[in-house]
Amino acid sequence: MKRQQRKREPHTLAGAYAMDAISEPDRVRFERHLARCQECAQEIASLREATARLAVVTAETPPPGLKERVLAAAATTRQRPPVTSDADLPARLRALAWPGRLAVAGAAVAAVVVLGAAVVFGVSNGTMRHQLSQAQASSQQIAAVLTARDATMMTAPVAGGGTVTIVMSHSMHALVFTAAGLRPLPASRGYELWLIGSAGDRPVGMLPQAASHMAGPVIASGLRSGDHLALTAEPAGGTSRPTNPMMLYLVL
Amino acid sequence: MARGDATAFDAVYEQVAASVYGVVKRVVRDPAQSEEVTQDVLLEIWRDASKFDAERGSATAWVMMLAHRRAVDRVRSVQKEAERERRVATSDVPYDEVAEAVESSFERERVRRCLDSLTELQRESVTLAYYGGYTYGQVAGLLGVPTGTIKTRMRDALIRLRDCLGVA
Repeated sequence: MKRQQRKREPHTLAGAYAMDAISEPDRVRFERHLARCQECAQEIASLREATARLAVVTAETPPPGLKERVLAAAATTRQRPPVTSDADLPARLRALAWPGRLAVAGAAVAAVVVLGAAVVFGVSNGTMRHQLSQAQASSQQIAAVLTARDATMMTAPVAGGGTVTIVMSHSMHALVFTAAGLRPLPASRGYELWLIGSAGDRPVGMLPQAASHMAGPVIASGLRSGDHLALTAEPAGGTSRPTNPMMLYLVL
Repeated sequence: MARGDATAFDAVYEQVAASVYGVVKRVVRDPAQSEEVTQDVLLEIWRDASKFDAERGSATAWVMMLAHRRAVDRVRSVQKEAERERRVATSDVPYDEVAEAVESSFERERVRRCLDSLTELQRESVTLAYYGGYTYGQVAGLLGVPTGTIKTRMRDALIRLRDCLGVA
């Protein structure tokens, strides 16, 4: 009886484990169990998505100066190489994209860019599959840019409020754009995104009206070297030429 | 630090710093210590970004797991039993008192509604464990319920939350 209880015990600890409500010896024991139990690992992963929501709703503006201190400390902190071998990295990147495509993305994409893309664009295996069913072509393009060998990430503030994040790949002639905290516009107007360069001013499109404070991701293809990215406020239907003022003018 | 890495980390910071600080402060409570732990967590994210595995969950879940775990580690290592006893009185349903919240009120409302859909024992177990930083054994003691019951309630509660939030 006692023995049987002990045998069944690990699985009931899943909730406590996912909330870190577990003593060190219990944690070690449960992790040994997890390593052998694929089903339990999946359950823990799904429960962690729930506890993450409990964390996110406590969000609070961090003290001033923290960002500078963190970035300065990061500049002098070495990043650990992947624990997995190089051979596993393409698999990790494919997980960000979708099964079967993107034969080898190459190991050149920095881990923090992969993480950044995942955190900013919200892509994970699950959400990407979900997006695929909705807008297949655009999601595939987005995944391809995010995992491109030369993927580069940039962030910039928007005049008037908000931040944009882009991941661009010159080899794919495309960039993925997302914005957070943009100032809301009246219904008759919207934000329009532009590529500006020697090939002229090309409208990328209107940003979808954000349900929450996030807008995007939007993909801009036809990127040429020397292009700039611009953001303007235009009539809701869009225009063929950008009108001033530009709220963002970014060298790509 | 490579330029691409630096800007990528900048984006990661912008996206997660407020949530990391929020959950750490909720658990640790002391603002100065919370700031320290937040800085450690963000550096750990930078150092160990290669450990993030998209196949095993979202980036947000990975980051919040690190943040919560470090916050709990801090509470357990520095707080004496007497101090913890004092905290018991104040960690009751703390999800209400969000100061300067930056997450959309829609999302907060959704989480609150899902927490409200739990039984009282489930909800108390989750708030004491996740926001209070208590182990299931301590939660059982605080609520005067057998540990076996608490373990089951915690798991049932998270399964219900997960399904209610539609995050699986």
